[in-house]
Amino acid sequence: MNTYSITVSNLTKKFSFSARNASSGWLKNLFSPETKEIVAVNDISFSIKHGERIAFIGPNGAGKSTTIKMLTGILFPTSGKVNILGFDPTKDRKKLAYQIGTVFGQRSQLLPNLPLTDSLEFFGVMYDMPEKEIKRRIAELVELFNLGSFITQPVRKLSLGQRMRAEVAASLIHKPKIIFLDEPTIGLDVVAKKSLRDLLLKINKDENTTIFLTSHDVGDIESLCDRTIVINHGTIIKDLPTQDLAKTFVYEKYINLVALNNFNNFPELPEGIRYSSKDKNKITVVVDINKINLQESLKKLLDLFEVEDIDVYNADLETVIRHIYERD
Amino acid sequence: MMKELYFALYAIKKNIQSSAKLRTSFLMNIFGVAVNNTAFIILWGFFVKSVGIIGGWTVADIIGLQGFVALCFGIVFSTADGIRKLANYTASGSFDRFMLSPKNLLVRIATSSFGVSALGDIVFGIVCLGIFAFLINATIYQILLIILLVIISTIVFLAAAIAIYSTSFYFTDSSSVTDSLFELFLTPSLFHGGAFQGVMRFIFTFAIPSLLIGALPVEIVRDISLGKLLLVSVLAIFWFVVSINIFNRAVKKYESSNFMTFGN
Repeated sequence: MNTYSITVSNLTKKFSFSARNASSGWLKNLFSPETKEIVAVNDISFSIKHGERIAFIGPNGAGKSTTIKMLTGILFPTSGKVNILGFDPTKDRKKLAYQIGTVFGQRSQLLPNLPLTDSLEFFGVMYDMPEKEIKRRIAELVELFNLGSFITQPVRKLSLGQRMRAEVAASLIHKPKIIFLDEPTIGLDVVAKKSLRDLLLKINKDENTTIFLTSHDVGDIESLCDRTIVINHGTIIKDLPTQDLAKTFVYEKYINLVALNNFNNFPELPEGIRYSSKDKNKITVVVDINKINLQESLKKLLDLFEVEDIDVYNADLETVIRHIYERD
Repeated sequence: MMKELYFALYAIKKNIQSSAKLRTSFLMNIFGVAVNNTAFIILWGFFVKSVGIIGGWTVADIIGLQGFVALCFGIVFSTADGIRKLANYTASGSFDRFMLSPKNLLVRIATSSFGVSALGDIVFGIVCLGIFAFLINATIYQILLIILLVIISTIVFLAAAIAIYSTSFYFTDSSSVTDSLFELFLTPSLFHGGAFQGVMRFIFTFAIPSLLIGALPVEIVRDISLGKLLLVSVLAIFWFVVSINIFNRAVKKYESSNFMTFGN
């Protein structure tokens, strides 16, 4: 049996568009515009095993959504191959749809005027589920996602947090083998985010559902995903276990120096140490321990500043991710 | 096939329920369109009465023409109103969700929306065809012909709508283009057949199928013309096959987008 849910080989997507040529007149631009091409996804390859939880991250415009749309059959690739559960999304779109679930945080799939229960039933019928099975699955999802208190409300009256829970529940009605989530926690408060993450973890554990997630929220990545793929400018720049991602910049230590009185001047720092932030009450510096060891750097910093307190720590995941984006 | 049909009917039922939830707008839409269409036909009535028979077309024929066009317009844009929203779906990126459906793409899109106002056209169309049948003293044979021609003209209308709105995949923000193309098809269909002779008749029969949905059906019923019935039937099948082909090719041009959208 194939152990991979998703296999992507040399996947590329190019978009072309008409661009205005400033040196040409408007008439020429109207009838004979210049065509430009952008490479949204550039020759990427990766594989994902059944039951894995993947964070597919990158800055805005990196190619995340384009990739997810090619994996789900929404967009046709310019070149390369995609295999999802044995199906080619460009040829087997309908067959694939029975096996996957999708949630787009910025896009609702529910019926806005009707009660939520109607939307869930609608999805059940769409996936050719027998009536009894639909009822049983709805009852299961209502309990799991705690939808009972608003199941009879029209979808347009739901809060964002309630709606997102409902969106995920609807996408799971047919017990998909993979669920693709594109920024599912966007706009949610901390409680709603945690609730949604816990539910996704439970679905992954109970039903071995593969989770493929794009998000800008570090909390989603940290608490939900065991592997992170970083994409930028359409190319994969990192593919590693999430816990190793935080160690990517382990050679950088952050030191907070809290002023005894006020910091009045900010002298030049020794080689290997640089300012991260400067304030009259607190300075944060970054130490590159490949260039200067921690003990030495602390001595030099204490020579330069009068401090009341010192705090040494590694970069948090958000900082690591920012560094990765900035470096690329 | 049966599963597709079952889901299509289920989706239409849900769309009607969804529209009916907004009761006032639901009823106002139906009533408003029926009043609007009636005013239009009264104008034609006065016009024909004052100038007499136009190009062989009587008041009864014009009522029949309006009936055929209104009825196929109403049937298509009530049950398959999603076709008309294609430009909006593609521009906003909300077309994505149809690509994720395990159902036939065209059927899923068509049944994604219910045009409430088109129910007014259905009511109006049925009344007009009833009056038409009464005024021409229609035989049973002619009544059966009317029913058959409603089906055929609805197929042509649906095919034209699919072909026209499929152009949405080729342009950015295409709604003005598709609306203009649709007017180019619909407006000539509302004029009596006497207005189209020679080259114009050829163009609006074979290149733009406007006459197939109103003028030719009236002529077929009035003259009991089996030759024209055969021609209209063959063209209906031709346009239907061509339109599905156009749609299937066009959909590959879809580029999606990331605008926020909500609901159906």
